[in-house]
Amino acid sequence: MTADQAIAIRCTVNGEEHTLEVGPGETLLQTLRDRLSLTGTKEGCLEGECGACTVLVDDLPVDACILAAAAMDGRRIRTVEGLSTGERLAPLQQAFLDHAAVQCGFCTPGVLMTLTALLEQRPSPSPEEVAAALAGNLCRCTGYRQMIDALLAVAKEARP
Amino acid sequence: MTAIGANLPRSDGEAKLRGDAVFGVDLAVPGMLHARLLRAPVPAGIIRRIDTAAAATSPGVRDVVIGADVPNQRTGLFIFDTPCFATDYVAYEGEPIAAVLADTPEQAEAAIGKIELEIDEQTPVATPEQALAPNARPVHPSWAKFATAGGIEIARKGNVVAEIVSDPGDVDAAFARADRVVEGFYRAPRQYQAYLEPRMALATYQAGRYTIQVSHQYPFRLRDRMAQVLGVPKSALRIVGHHIGGGFGAKLDLGLEAFAALLARRAGRPVRMVNTAEEERLTAPCRENATVRIRSAVRDDGTILAQDVEVLFDSGAYANNAPAMASIPMFMFGSIYRVGTARIRARTAYTNTAPTGAFRGVSGTYLVFAAERHMDDIANELGRDRREFRLASLADDGHRMLNGQALEQLSILRRAFDLVEQRAPWTEQGRGALRGVGIAAIVWLTNPAPGQATVKLNEDGGLMVVTAATDNGSGAVTIGLRQIAAECLGLPVEQVVVTMPDTDVAGYDGGSQGSRTTHVTGRAVHDATAEVRETVIDKAAAMLEAAKEDLVIEDGIVQVAGVPDMRLSLAEVAMAATFSSGPIAATASYATPPPPHDPERTKGMLFATWPTPTYHVHLAEVTVDPVTGQVTVDRYVIAQEVGRTINPDAVMGQIHGGLAQGLGYALWERVDIDGGRYVQRSFETHGLPLACDMPAVEAVLMEHPEPAGPYGAKGTAEPPIVPVAAVIANAVSDAVGAPIDEIPITPEAVLRALD
Ligand code: FES
Ligand code: FES
Repeated sequence: MTADQAIAIRCTVNGEEHTLEVGPGETLLQTLRDRLSLTGTKEGCLEGECGACTVLVDDLPVDACILAAAAMDGRRIRTVEGLSTGERLAPLQQAFLDHAAVQCGFCTPGVLMTLTALLEQRPSPSPEEVAAALAGNLCRCTGYRQMIDALLAVAKEARP
Repeated sequence: MTAIGANLPRSDGEAKLRGDAVFGVDLAVPGMLHARLLRAPVPAGIIRRIDTAAAATSPGVRDVVIGADVPNQRTGLFIFDTPCFATDYVAYEGEPIAAVLADTPEQAEAAIGKIELEIDEQTPVATPEQALAPNARPVHPSWAKFATAGGIEIARKGNVVAEIVSDPGDVDAAFARADRVVEGFYRAPRQYQAYLEPRMALATYQAGRYTIQVSHQYPFRLRDRMAQVLGVPKSALRIVGHHIGGGFGAKLDLGLEAFAALLARRAGRPVRMVNTAEEERLTAPCRENATVRIRSAVRDDGTILAQDVEVLFDSGAYANNAPAMASIPMFMFGSIYRVGTARIRARTAYTNTAPTGAFRGVSGTYLVFAAERHMDDIANELGRDRREFRLASLADDGHRMLNGQALEQLSILRRAFDLVEQRAPWTEQGRGALRGVGIAAIVWLTNPAPGQATVKLNEDGGLMVVTAATDNGSGAVTIGLRQIAAECLGLPVEQVVVTMPDTDVAGYDGGSQGSRTTHVTGRAVHDATAEVRETVIDKAAAMLEAAKEDLVIEDGIVQVAGVPDMRLSLAEVAMAATFSSGPIAATASYATPPPPHDPERTKGMLFATWPTPTYHVHLAEVTVDPVTGQVTVDRYVIAQEVGRTINPDAVMGQIHGGLAQGLGYALWERVDIDGGRYVQRSFETHGLPLACDMPAVEAVLMEHPEPAGPYGAKGTAEPPIVPVAAVIANAVSDAVGAPIDEIPITPEAVLRALD
């Protein structure tokens, strides 16, 4: 990567301010994994089809593997590493653990980000809405049921 | 008991939820180089020229390797037919031809594009039927010279990779006595495992030994296969396993590992390789496409006098595990229903397509689809209620399968039919009513391959379980083995740690396949822990000056029963033992002994028995849309026998996941082959099940503890996929009023049937 090709961006990742020089062909996934060592976001198909690389950009779930890093200037990015507060798992993470919603775990970070966005937008979704929200996240292990149950449990818990 | 039957969380769950878990593709070591493969762009052809000169001088390139540069002897699981690199001819699209090593993956990829390759294309042998045609071109001209593992005899010829014939000799006479003959022909496609993490390898070579870091389901088989390919002793290889991003059978054999190892040795640097998504789709060892022809000799009173079964399945370009899978039809016919006598002929053929391999429920998915579709065909032909006909045909305890093995607990199936009936009372809707119901039953096995565990009591009272068992997501290791050890010793499950697999450290383990880990490795863990427990009791009895019989261990505390004051923590006992008599540890091994059977009937079979059977009934209610042809699964009910439930949520996870894969296979997933090439090349076009596709599931677990298993546990993870296609096809056939004998059941097929 020669310096003249590099593009300077400023963005926040999990609340932390970053000034980065990224390549023109670099994806957000490469930036996260290779530059920032945030390898929790998974590298699956790299074709925008599996959802293993889902992160939140300005609160919306997107496939980081097909998103240009250069377009992230001024954006607010959240990844799985930012979900918990220190030792404590986020309620959604804890619910996944309690509902046996994790099997191989490769889809899990992406699924968590998609469902985090869902909860922020719709605090009390129906089971059908949860399933529809997961349309961009493939999971080959779980059959999705226990993930949906986990999310519904969190939503119920949060209701006043 | 506290740990058995409890919904305790998996030990790797938190790391996976935080993004901390290290999968194969997350691995990196300082100084590593990157390699890419040149893969065959056509399914069949003669290689005329490979010129690597331009690639070798491409920026960043360290090495370029073709078949001529390495030993390249043919190797394999059963038939030694697979070269490392194709040299003279190409046998399938995606076959490795050359490897490029460079400083970055991009440089390696760029150099791959500079290799000049001339291939005279041949017309591919695209299907098993073409392969067996009288004048078919042999996929491997020198097939007759291929050696077999240990010199075993495999009936093979030309494009026939293996043939199993089991004929008791009285089948034709039975057909002569029949009132009618019911015949069916059933067809199933390939199925792609579609694990999310691509196959990868990170190899280093140092001081005469190779270390391979990988996400793999069966590290010891990988070790053995690599030893073959590299021509080095098994002990020169160390396989270190990491978290596996799904496998379902696809990560049981060699992938990229040998290439990475060869290059690492030549370069003296670590080498990392990862398949692209397209490479995975081209080369994954899919479930084999197959056809099954069944003829049944039937009396008008419903007695089945005989069955004549012909199975033909696609091995792809190399044999892989197909010679063993050719045995499986022997267990899918005449096993649960009385069929009088049966002749089985199973053949597997070479084609110019990617080698097929293992996928959860190997062979069973389409054999049960055929066998149970056929039961409906017979019932319909006789005008019998399909459920009642099954119950009337169901054999009794002690019934002998075609291999002569007795199923001592077959009546569990009757109970399973009852339990399903209680939840979803069987009502024939009337054929063609657009609503339909389907039912199917199976007996499935628990893979018997050996396992070993070493259990060590740490000085702080924590328990360390050392095994090479792998957890490809099921929780068999991170839940099952830990709960078994915790129960056996009497300590909280959080204090049990199971190591990640490492062939230098742990004893041989048969890998995550065939639901074996909880049963087989679990038994080894149980036995080793029981020995540790005995040592603890001995030591504590001496320390407490108590009688051994009076001691109990609960929650990590050894105490004299009923005397709370006379107690020691496991830590105190372990500490005292470690520095007096020595550390407390034990090792145990287990492999399921082959059940008694009739060797006369299993001649030539590489898989002769059906160990540790479990029993299952599935039922589905479906609706078909007469306008769109869409099938909706309204209800799905399962009665599954598990031996003993170690963790109910984990078993349910296997049921939901297996059902999803089974529904995909039955209704949506496509792996079409056109002229030897795969048509679908993206996840999207494969039609994998999404969250919104999943129906409600009701499952009942039946416990019939198996004395040989840890706390009675048998295999649970594999069977939920096996009968799904059969049940769905039966339900849809019922709904449309016409037999659907091919999967996946596309909307077009539904509309055709309704026409
Ligand atoms: S890795 Fe980005 S969608 Fe699959
Ligand atoms: S848990 Fe394995 S892909 Fe979802």
